[in-house]
Parts: sequence; C-alpha cells; structure tokens
Amino acid sequence: MDKFAILQFYGLIKREVLEHRNLFIGAPAVVALLLLVATTWAVTQVDESQLAEGLRYVSVLFDGLSPFDMAPFFMLLAVPFYLTLYVCSVIYLINTLYQDRKEMSVLFWQSMPVSNLQTVLSKIVTIVLVAPIFYVLIIFAMYLIAMVWLTILGISNDVDLVGIGYMFLAAIASLVLIYISAFVTSLWLLPSVGWLLLFSAFAKKTPLLWAGGVFILVGFLEDFIFGTQFLANWVASRTSDPNQYLIFEFQSIFERIFNYDTLFGIVVGGILIVGAVFMRRFTD
Amino acid sequence: MKDLILRSRYTLLVVTLIVYMGVLVAEGMITGREARVIKFENPYFDFSSTDFEGFRERRNDDEDSRVSFEDSGDV
Repeated sequence: MDKFAILQFYGLIKREVLEHRNLFIGAPAVVALLLLVATTWAVTQVDESQLAEGLRYVSVLFDGLSPFDMAPFFMLLAVPFYLTLYVCSVIYLINTLYQDRKEMSVLFWQSMPVSNLQTVLSKIVTIVLVAPIFYVLIIFAMYLIAMVWLTILGISNDVDLVGIGYMFLAAIASLVLIYISAFVTSLWLLPSVGWLLLFSAFAKKTPLLWAGGVFILVGFLEDFIFGTQFLANWVASRTSDPNQYLIFEFQSIFERIFNYDTLFGIVVGGILIVGAVFMRRFTD
Repeated sequence: MKDLILRSRYTLLVVTLIVYMGVLVAEGMITGREARVIKFENPYFDFSSTDFEGFRERRNDDEDSRVSFEDSGDV
C-alpha cells in the first residue's frame, strides 16, 4: 500500500470520527461523568471512618498481587461503557451509509479518488479499531481521576498507598483487556456489522426497520420453505453468551480470535459487507 | 450475470441474502448446529425453548378434545 493510499484512508477515518464525535467521544464522556458523580454521591453517604477502613481493605487486597491477574476485576467497571459502545455502534452503522445518500454527500465522495470499498472499509475500521480507542482513553481518564481522589483520601486517612498503586496498575492492565475485548466483539459480531451496513446502503427510508424486518422475514421464510431454523440457531449461538467474545485473561486472546466460529463469522460478515460495497453504487 | 445482479438495489439485496443464507444453511447442515436451550425456571410453570413442539402438540390435543366435547351436544 503506497503512502497516498494510507493518507486517503487516514482522511476517511478522520472524517468518520469528526462527523460522529458525539457517538465516539461524547457518549462515553457522559457515561464517565455520570459514574464519577454517582460514586462521589455514594462516598458522601458513607461515614469517614468506614471509608478509611474500606480503603485499607482494598489497599491490602491489591498489595503485592500481579496487576495482570487482578485486571479482570476492573472489567466490571467497563460494562456501562461496553453497553454504550454497542448502542452507539448500532446507531452509527445503521445511519452512516444512509446519511451519506440522504444528504447527497455520497456524490461528493464518489467524485473524489476514493472507492466505495475504501469508504465502507473505513467505516468498519472506525467501529472495530478506532471507536474502542476513544472509549479506553475516557475510561483511563476516569481511572486517573479516581486514583488521584483515592490517593488524597489515603494520605488524609494514613492508609498505605502501595496497595493503591498496585490497584492503579491493575486498572491500567484492564484497559488492554477492555480494548481487545471490544475488538474481538466487533469481529465476533461482524455479521451484524455487515447486515446493518447492507441495509444502511439499501434503504431509502427507515433503515433500522428494514434491517429488523428483513431479518425476521428471512427467518420465517427459512422455517416456512425449508423447515429449518439455521439462521435463528446461528444468531442465538452467537449472541447468547458474552463469554464467547469478552476476554478476561491475556492467555486466551489468540484462542478467541483464531477459532472456527470467529473466522466463519468473518466470512459471513464479509459476504454482507461486499453486498454493502456494491449497494453503494445506487445513490438515489 | 453481473448486469442482472447489479440491475437494481433490490436484485442486489436478494442475491446477497441468497448467498448469505446459502452459506449459513450449508454450514448449519454440515456442523449440525443447534439452538442453545433457554430455560426459564420458576415455581409456577416450566418453560424450555426446546419444548415448543410439545407445547404445540398439547395445544392441538386440547383443541381436538374441545371440538369433540362440543360435538357431543352436551353443552
């Protein structure tokens, strides 16, 4: 890939981030703010001696333990961010190609030296690799504020700060797990990504309704014509258990990415993404 | 063939969905994929997502018996 193509792709991704900064930066920032406000409120309800006791307990709990072993504890704090990322991803994917046609900017982009494949790929890279970076950075900022606050509390209550330091290291290690989990989830749910993009490129109105309606219709047709339920079974088998794509230990990263189900999902998602790329030529 | 597929957005959508379903059904048949069981346990009734066939049969039996009861003219 030459330098011009890399710059083109970088420009496309930058455009996506700038046009959807509310989804990628605003939404997680609001969630972080709400969590900090809720935590502050909860702390003000606790007696100071109990707070110091709790802080001592946490400090002893983390003291001397490997941050990589303790990192999964902090995955729980990331759950609201995961949910926000899922919702924002659905909103982004279902609207992105539809919005391009609605505001006719598709004509501008097609007049530029940028192919439909590059445009669609930039949207996938944005959701798979770029959006989680912003979420992780905001979680990091939240952890940083929380750690400064805990350190001040620790100093004022004569708590050993070494344990707090270990806790901070575990929180930092968890950021890697959070990012990789978001990445693996995107790969795991690539068929859904492709489906939403296909209908975003297809629908003249209400793309979400088309995506949902056709999914139900295809499921019924399969059952009616063939008497089988492979589509429903497949969707159920991929969405029912978050353990399939959330990563809680560093050892399982390779195994989660390179397994049959993930790779088959990428193939199926690829079919729908190719459909979305070709669908983009219909600009009306 | 290419012209036919790319004639309109509808033909392209149908072809994409046919390929998508074809791959899914073929893979499902080869691997024998089955739906995960959803069980809802509570003290009032039993629910299992695999038991829909049994539920349908029970309901048909109930309807048949009701029809025969009404036909008997005792109502």
